[in-house]
Amino acid sequence: MIKITEVPEDSPYTIDECKIRGYADEVLIPETEEDIREAVRNCPSITISGRRTGMCGGSVPYGGTVLSLEKFDHILGVGKDERSFYVRVQPCVTVRQLNDFIRKKGYLSLPSLTEGANEELSADRDGYFYPVDPTELNGSLGGNIAANASGPRTFKYGPTRRWVRRVRVILSDGSVLDIKRGDIKATGRTIEIPFSDGMRMIELPTYEFNMNVKNVTGLYVEDDMDAVDLFVGSEGIFGVITEADLYLAPAHPLISNIVFLPNDGDSYSLSKDFRASGVVPEFLEFFDSGSLDLIRSSRKDDPKFTDMPDIPDTAGSALFFDLPMDGNLKDNYLRVKPLIERYGGSLEDSWCGYELKDRERFFAFRHSVPQTIFDYVARLKGSSAPKINKMGTDMSVPLDRLDEMMEFYDSTIRSYGLEYVIFGHIGHGHPHVEIILKDMEAFRKAKDAYRELARKAIELGGSPSAEHGIGKMKVEYVEMMYGSEGVDQIRSVKKAMDPENRFNAGNVFADGEVRM
Amino acid sequence: MKYVVFVKQVPDTTLIAVDENGNLIRAGVPSILDPYSEHALETAVSLKKEGDLIVAVTMGPDQAQSALRRCLEIGADEAYLLSDRAFAGADVHATARTLSAFVEKFAADASLIMFGKQAADGDTAQVPAEVAEMLGREQFCYCVSVNAEDDHFVTVQDYGDERRTCRAPMGSVVSVSEGDINRRLPSIARFIEASEAEIKRLDRIALGLGNFSVGMNGSRTKIVKSVNVRSERLGKITDGSDPVKAAAYLKELI
Repeated sequence: MIKITEVPEDSPYTIDECKIRGYADEVLIPETEEDIREAVRNCPSITISGRRTGMCGGSVPYGGTVLSLEKFDHILGVGKDERSFYVRVQPCVTVRQLNDFIRKKGYLSLPSLTEGANEELSADRDGYFYPVDPTELNGSLGGNIAANASGPRTFKYGPTRRWVRRVRVILSDGSVLDIKRGDIKATGRTIEIPFSDGMRMIELPTYEFNMNVKNVTGLYVEDDMDAVDLFVGSEGIFGVITEADLYLAPAHPLISNIVFLPNDGDSYSLSKDFRASGVVPEFLEFFDSGSLDLIRSSRKDDPKFTDMPDIPDTAGSALFFDLPMDGNLKDNYLRVKPLIERYGGSLEDSWCGYELKDRERFFAFRHSVPQTIFDYVARLKGSSAPKINKMGTDMSVPLDRLDEMMEFYDSTIRSYGLEYVIFGHIGHGHPHVEIILKDMEAFRKAKDAYRELARKAIELGGSPSAEHGIGKMKVEYVEMMYGSEGVDQIRSVKKAMDPENRFNAGNVFADGEVRM
Repeated sequence: MKYVVFVKQVPDTTLIAVDENGNLIRAGVPSILDPYSEHALETAVSLKKEGDLIVAVTMGPDQAQSALRRCLEIGADEAYLLSDRAFAGADVHATARTLSAFVEKFAADASLIMFGKQAADGDTAQVPAEVAEMLGREQFCYCVSVNAEDDHFVTVQDYGDERRTCRAPMGSVVSVSEGDINRRLPSIARFIEASEAEIKRLDRIALGLGNFSVGMNGSRTKIVKSVNVRSERLGKITDGSDPVKAAAYLKELI
């Protein structure tokens, strides 16, 4: 095990993509599972660290030990069960690494986990892939599981939870829990988890976990839930994931498309018509005029910022969608053509691409919007406003309430005298609104605006955190959603699972010791 | 102007895996338009003015049509597939012979004959030069830029240690080694149009070639045997402070 006892102020281990800087007494880099168990037995306060691409400070430490799982970056093989093929991964394998491994048949140099799995997967004509695409492809899969990550493809494939077959977790007493789905189930809202001192009876929260929208606010619960689901989305407060099995989905050829429309708002209207047209895209993502302008300005400084052609000057908004490249493709295009033309667009004012290298360009283009804002806020943080943070919403509402929410975004943010850009998962009732911050004054206003927006999202039957998680930044919204009683119930699950509050203090609910 | 662009379909080399014996696993790897061919076509598209014509040509089996569709999406106006069972197994010479026959019979009036600098699978980089030789035309290989003037082209070739700017006469052969990172994407309209466009097929007879000019029969290279070569460091070190001893040590190792 590698030990870093002097953690400098600018250590990469004390910051994540939310750009909030914490501090730590030491960093441990375990090389074996036994090292992790030893760390768990000896360290009273541990912040689990993967690739630190989270957006809510989940891996930002406030004292104690950072347990960096960076050496656990191996893929262990492919197996198959009655549902599908699955891949066994260590927690610091990335989404990109996993899909490259499948595409390039890396498993052929490893033994099959179940008899014949390698040969069968290799012989499949269209192949398989890991379908959760959290747009940040360099994030760790352990982190993805801990945060129940989702992304554009959740529109069709659901979040990470749906793809987890098995987890292996080091619990707070240093014991190993290795469970696959079906091994341990709750009875109603009570679940028994084996620890070294015997079974612990855990009373799960009684609130309704909102499954009608994309939602990762608070602890996932349902009656008779599977113990695997207790760990998926728990943000590391119950243990250290050291291994997981993730299911694969059958791949099919896709074509990525971006359609440009002349006016702001057009792409939102088109997204609504799109749903009514009967054409089922893999996802629907939109860019408003502000987000297109952000990309334009980044490209002005650096034409290689995204390796895409220039955005047409006339474009005021855009809609991004993937369609299956099957026999219906042309018909599908012709069905959406009149809709696009209704808003002043055309099939000429568009981009499409189906080769892997082109489709990757589309996704990099999509990711460039939040990336631009991250970079902008990081620059402000490094100069005039060190305490500033990015203010991007991550709220989902049911689709039939989206109009109301969109209007509320606009009126509320403007009433604070702030500007914003809006882009993202429109097909899921979950656009991202990025409030543009120029200084600390704007940041303070944005925090108040954000609170109002979160309250509205909950009121409309949505979630204040659809996919980014709670981490340490959004704990107040858990209480907003479930009340103090709900938070107390989460707290008591934590107490039963981790009585000494060893893991990830400050994540999911407020901890007296941790202040951001 | 009439731009004739010769392209090749290749396996997507970024997806080729290596098995435990070091052999390439080609099965199931998708075929794509060779990236260098794409650079050549992109260059033609950037040169194209109203009234100009871009003709994409490939030699290959039926499945190579998808590479031509890709060319039509990027901006080619016409596409030709040179396909015949007799073309199989062609080396550089037989390939160049077949492509030259196309130019002589169907595109003698080409303003520029364009290639990628090499194909990502064969890597010989010899076909463009050999076609130029067979046609008796000027050749400008490894171009990083091509510009059109009224009655000639200006090419910049990059040889690694020097860059050469030349005036290329009409009808020259160029090979292109660089493309634009922000390369264009087809519109959906263009994609639909390309999927419906006609791909013209020409066989050996249509090209006026004899059985012994093409394919395996027309090839001058014969592969006798191919082996995997692995270079591994022995990890042996001599400090070289005594040159005579060091030389003797090296001699022994070799």
